[in-house]
Amino acid sequence: VTVLARVIVVVALAVVVACGDRLYRRWRRHVEVDAPEHPVVPSHLREGAARTWVLFTTPYCATCGPVEASLRASDPDARVVKVDATRHVELADAFSVRAAPTALLADADGRVTARLVGAEAVDRYVRSPA
Amino acid sequence: MAAPSPIDPRGPRFNQAVLASALLAGFLVDWRAVVPVFAVVLVLGAAFGPRYGPFLRLYADVVRPRLAPPRHLEDPRPPRFAAAVGVAFLAAGSLAFVAGHPGVGWGLALVVAALAGLSATTGLCVGCEMYLFLARRRGVRLVA
Repeated sequence: VTVLARVIVVVALAVVVACGDRLYRRWRRHVEVDAPEHPVVPSHLREGAARTWVLFTTPYCATCGPVEASLRASDPDARVVKVDATRHVELADAFSVRAAPTALLADADGRVTARLVGAEAVDRYVRSPA
Repeated sequence: MAAPSPIDPRGPRFNQAVLASALLAGFLVDWRAVVPVFAVVLVLGAAFGPRYGPFLRLYADVVRPRLAPPRHLEDPRPPRFAAAVGVAFLAAGSLAFVAGHPGVGWGLALVVAALAGLSATTGLCVGCEMYLFLARRRGVRLVA
């Protein structure tokens, strides 16, 4: 195999990786900020609060504690409820939770107005809420 | 069994960036030894932990002190599983070189290079996703 052929292979690989990078970033943005059709957040979680953060966690999620603290600090007027996705599987499925932490912001009527997947998404939201 | 301590996810990504660069450079100059060498590098980190992976150690001792603290941590098991998959590919590639099939050897090494490059640039770690898929089916609880 000539050196030129090797260079072409390496450049082709770099292009594939770059395309994968763009597609993945686009998909991540879609997953992190898009609010799919969610059911209404149950009233027992909101308890009449005007704003409720529902934070889906798992028992050994290392980032969920800091994320909860971050949400409480940045939005002190909101109610923050932790839901263990491994214990409340039906609720997690209803909100299409696939990773922990996933944070949903519900208004007074239980409508989901923001959906943040992952600690980085929450961090970005806390720094500059949409 | 006790859950492992979560790790700075930038360590494995640094390791993957070095791995991808080295394999591509090796391919360019047809330096076949890079394949078994990095199989050993990966197996050290995967089998014995980040302290024994040369580039994971380099990241922890030299690079990380110069960076801000990580904004999130991750479970160490998915990247270790991904490294083990990488070891399998690189070991098979090394055997292919020994057996006189350099095309197969480089093909396997370039698959590893592409996936490591993708993981280093995007954070999309295919081996980690494989682990997560298996972990969910087996009920393994992750630490991050």
